[in-house]
Amino acid sequence: MKKIGLLIRKEMLDILRDKKTLIMMILVPIVLYPLLIIGMTLVLNSVMSTSEEVSYTVGFDGEYADVVADLQEVMAQDSEEFDEDVEFLAMDEGGSSAVLDATLRFETDSDGRLRAEITYDSTAMNSAHVCRMLEDAVEGYRQKLVVEGLAKLDLDEDFLHPIICTTVDEVSEAESFGVSIGGSIGMMLIVMILMGALYPAIDTTAGEKERGTLETLLTLPVTNFQMIFSKFVSVAIIACVTALLSLISLAGSVLFLIFGVAGDMVVEFGFSATAMVGALPMLFLTMLVTALLSSALCMCFCVFAKSFKEANNYVTPLLLVVMIASMAGMLPSVELDQRTVLIPIVNVSLMMKQVLSQQFSFVLAGVANLVNLCVSILIIWFLAKMYDSENILFADGFRSFRLFVRRSDVKKGTVPDNGDVMLAVTVLFLLMIYVGSAASARLGFWGTAVTQLMILAVPLLLVWYMKSDVKTLFSLNAPRKGTVLGSVLLYLGTYCLIMVLSVALMVLFPESMENVELAFSPIAEQPFVFILLVVALMPAVGEEFLFRGLMFGSIRANWLKRHPKEPAVKGAVYAILISAAVFGVFHMSLAKFFTTFLLGALFAYIVYRTGSIYVTMGLHFVNNAVSMAVMKYPEAVGKVLPFLMEEELSMVEIVGLLAAGVVLAGLGFMLLGKKKE
Amino acid sequence: MIEVRGLCKEFERSRKAERTAGKAKKQRVKKETFLAVDHVSIEACEGEIIGILGPNGAGKTTLLRMMGMLMSPTGGEVVLTDEEGNEIAELTQKKAAIGYLSGNTKLYPRFSVREYLQFLGELYGFDKDMVRKRSEEIFKVLDMEGFADNRIEKLSTGQTQRASIARCLMADPQVYILDEPTLGLDILSADAIIHFMREQKERGKTVLYSTHYLEEAQILCDRIYMIRDGRIVAHGTPAALMQQTGTDNLRAAFHVLYDTEGAR
Repeated sequence: MKKIGLLIRKEMLDILRDKKTLIMMILVPIVLYPLLIIGMTLVLNSVMSTSEEVSYTVGFDGEYADVVADLQEVMAQDSEEFDEDVEFLAMDEGGSSAVLDATLRFETDSDGRLRAEITYDSTAMNSAHVCRMLEDAVEGYRQKLVVEGLAKLDLDEDFLHPIICTTVDEVSEAESFGVSIGGSIGMMLIVMILMGALYPAIDTTAGEKERGTLETLLTLPVTNFQMIFSKFVSVAIIACVTALLSLISLAGSVLFLIFGVAGDMVVEFGFSATAMVGALPMLFLTMLVTALLSSALCMCFCVFAKSFKEANNYVTPLLLVVMIASMAGMLPSVELDQRTVLIPIVNVSLMMKQVLSQQFSFVLAGVANLVNLCVSILIIWFLAKMYDSENILFADGFRSFRLFVRRSDVKKGTVPDNGDVMLAVTVLFLLMIYVGSAASARLGFWGTAVTQLMILAVPLLLVWYMKSDVKTLFSLNAPRKGTVLGSVLLYLGTYCLIMVLSVALMVLFPESMENVELAFSPIAEQPFVFILLVVALMPAVGEEFLFRGLMFGSIRANWLKRHPKEPAVKGAVYAILISAAVFGVFHMSLAKFFTTFLLGALFAYIVYRTGSIYVTMGLHFVNNAVSMAVMKYPEAVGKVLPFLMEEELSMVEIVGLLAAGVVLAGLGFMLLGKKKE
Repeated sequence: MIEVRGLCKEFERSRKAERTAGKAKKQRVKKETFLAVDHVSIEACEGEIIGILGPNGAGKTTLLRMMGMLMSPTGGEVVLTDEEGNEIAELTQKKAAIGYLSGNTKLYPRFSVREYLQFLGELYGFDKDMVRKRSEEIFKVLDMEGFADNRIEKLSTGQTQRASIARCLMADPQVYILDEPTLGLDILSADAIIHFMREQKERGKTVLYSTHYLEEAQILCDRIYMIRDGRIVAHGTPAALMQQTGTDNLRAAFHVLYDTEGAR
């Protein structure tokens, strides 16, 4: 702890003595922002004020001078609406229009109605403005004529308005303010924090390498984690300070504008600052967590760079992605919900929108911050693992990726490295989000099949490229004798436990469960054979290959290779937990995470004990088929297995399920554990 | 004492290989692995100066980096024992017991020497006042009082090297591992380094160092290991090496040893 403190002090001192960082951190927010904002407003102001002093000239037909006189009278009566001078010039047939802002022509048609035609230039501000004024004046004149006409018929003006429609915006002014500018404030905050994190992140990683001090640092008696963690904290502190300075400076310039020079220019927001006080702690927490996240993201890229220049290149795409993600808050229909809360950066942007419109839920905001915190911790943990002297100092960086080797140079039987596996999953994840959702939108039910094909294709492509020994890696073996029964029992037991768990989760995340049912409604229309094929059989093969084959197999094999002295069980546990966690995240639902995690761990354990992926393929198929049957034929299933259909379980049922689960799972464990490898 | 047993380091290197694909001959780069350090065993005791000699690319730096805990070996092990003969197991403690200095261990340019030593001393677990006192002593010994408060980026080459030695002294390790410490220095600065190594030897410290200056090694080293292509080709006291080859200086001995090894 003391060492971390010392290291942080050293990093901070080092960063603060760097001119580039200081410029980004202090000069830009303190000098540039106010200059830009105040300058822009003043320029705008002066443009607007010059236009105010102008008086407009309108040309008109000499014939209709009496109509124009009436118009002028209307305009004179309502001096608030028509506060600027308009000069009417009578023009002859061929009069030039060069000096005129607009011309007004009248014509009496065959029915005896008067028609007015305004000619104007939409590109000139004055002309457009006077055109609007003339329209209003003509409208006022029309009303006057109507009222006069009614009076002649002895009718009241109310005759014209038998019904009156008024609209009331149920959204408070503060809320609509939040929606309209909350999103952009969120984006600004995120980008400011990122900018603040960027230079220190480059300086402490690539900069240190470039200056040759990294090797010295590695000779010191500190662990990799202490080193990375202190760098991370220092970068986050600087990012926070930068963001705070920027915010203060922005707020200061706005306040200066409101109460200072251009007071009348600034539009009233109808936004009460006092109402914001309640949200302040959450805002502050969000800012802190976002600073941590963006520092982690920046460092994640910079660590691999050898020089400032290289780091800049790596960071540019990150910058673009974060900027685009942070614009989520500006999209009108996107809201913070069970799904969007899981996407880092996007959730901050959406949360800011909610906070500023004063209708945010503490739970979702908390979850968003938690998610971001977890992502940061994961990144830092990963970096601490990667940041050993060898990878960073003496090799080319991406050493955990075998994918970047030409295929002809890949040795036969290579096991994909953990980096390759994670990259494959990330690519697949993106494919699913973009191609998968596009396919679903186009093809409906069969779009799901496209997604499933991608899930199958990615692991197969990877092992083809790696020339891996598929039989060993994917455990394509017959199960060991006597393990199948144990696996089935274990699965049944776990299923009982999962049922209890999902009922509990339903209470916690009711909306999410409804979403799940909604998502299944288009599927339910299909014939059951197709459903079985696409939703049960294809995932059973594809997901098993991906998670239990590629991921579990590779991570375990790599662990064994790297820790030859330690007991092999540890590697299996490590691989089971990681593959299960990714399997859980992969299903993109907060509520389903725990159950899929449990299933993922179970399946990986079964593959580990039976040595066969076919067993889990079978179980996965049955698992999906049963839940599809529940969706498709609720009544029929309810007759055979009534307990599957209940949404709420009684206490007795819960205890019964728990007991059955423990007994079955225990039996399964015993049967599986007995067979030693 | 530091002992190295059967140490290996495997690297990947690219080699151009010709391959006939169809009719046309294609030149392409093939990756292959090789041992940069090949089963090296070294023993260095207290009060000894050990020289590691060898041509460029022989694996000296890789060997020293592994001994300095900057690289992990692909085979074999590095064993460190403290004064009482107990093995030091934990990595951070191993690092604390080793003073590693090479051309690549630069100092933070934005710190002054004094600030840097203060940071280091506290990091090694000494308390503040003691670090302050030790820094003053070190500055006096190395004649650095004139530039102790200057930023390191403003120092000359000789001053910087002295600051690097000050860094090692502050940690007061048992084993010094110096990778070509006198490379590119003027006579005065080089002599200061040699003086420093002798002094540490007298204080009962272990010094391992690599160099290309054979005359320097001849008078300074207690024992010498000569390596080539990652393997030890000869070792012993300078006198023994000269006797073995029938020469009267280390430079000639070096040539004889490498020529016979090359012919083998």
